[in-house]
Amino acid sequence: MAQTNKGIEEDVASAFVNHYYHLFDNDRPSLSTLYNPTSLLTFEGQKIYGVEDISNKLKQLPFDQCRHSISTVDSQPSSIAGGCGGIIVFVSGSLQLHGEDHPLRFSQTFHLIPVLQGSFFVQNEMFRLNYG
Amino acid sequence: MDPDAVAKAFVEHYYSTFDGNRPGLVSLYQEGSMLTFEGQKIQGSQNIVAKLTSLPFNQCKHNITTVDCQPSGPAGGMLVFVSGNLQLAGEQHALKFSQMFHLISNQGTYYVFNDIFRLNYA
Repeated sequence: MAQTNKGIEEDVASAFVNHYYHLFDNDRPSLSTLYNPTSLLTFEGQKIYGVEDISNKLKQLPFDQCRHSISTVDSQPSSIAGGCGGIIVFVSGSLQLHGEDHPLRFSQTFHLIPVLQGSFFVQNEMFRLNYG
Repeated sequence: MDPDAVAKAFVEHYYSTFDGNRPGLVSLYQEGSMLTFEGQKIQGSQNIVAKLTSLPFNQCKHNITTVDCQPSGPAGGMLVFVSGNLQLAGEQHALKFSQMFHLISNQGTYYVFNDIFRLNYA
């Protein structure tokens, strides 16, 4: 019988967001641990499939150092009670690139799917800059 | 139908209903649907539409800048990520927003299971 995860999504989302952006800002290659071959990333409209291509895309972004500041985190369970326990996480914040005067504002959506060991992987991810 | 086309059609339908016939949004949600509106959590189509129809403006127009979509998993759901701006009647400046929908297929049409809305402040 499948367990519902109702009520824990805020804790999971909060822990995930802290972990994801810490890795992004300090150890970008390790983001690959969060994806698997079925993961999808849409980055500023570009669609990328699978952990290898996603990792390459993130490593090749045209900046070395960056710092994310998170303004809002919203989360909801993605399936009807008894379903697979997925969690949708919706983030907004700003991204300061090293050497740039002004931070960039962004929004980002994650769909996290639980794995047996109790952790989650990123099945879906979409990133958009929010131009002023 | 191509998923990007489905997402685009849904987005056009959703916002034209919002802008032209806000109570009509009730047909796009079901009892298990969830909306998080600027951090406030609301569940069920009746409560969701009550919230949307009680927002403190009568006339508005959504202008959509970007629509991204991805399949959400083996059950056939679709995630739709929208950004755009919202012009309220009588206000000088439009408000920028981002919104995330998770659409679930039910007998050939989609309904909104998850909906998260945030204004994007400069």
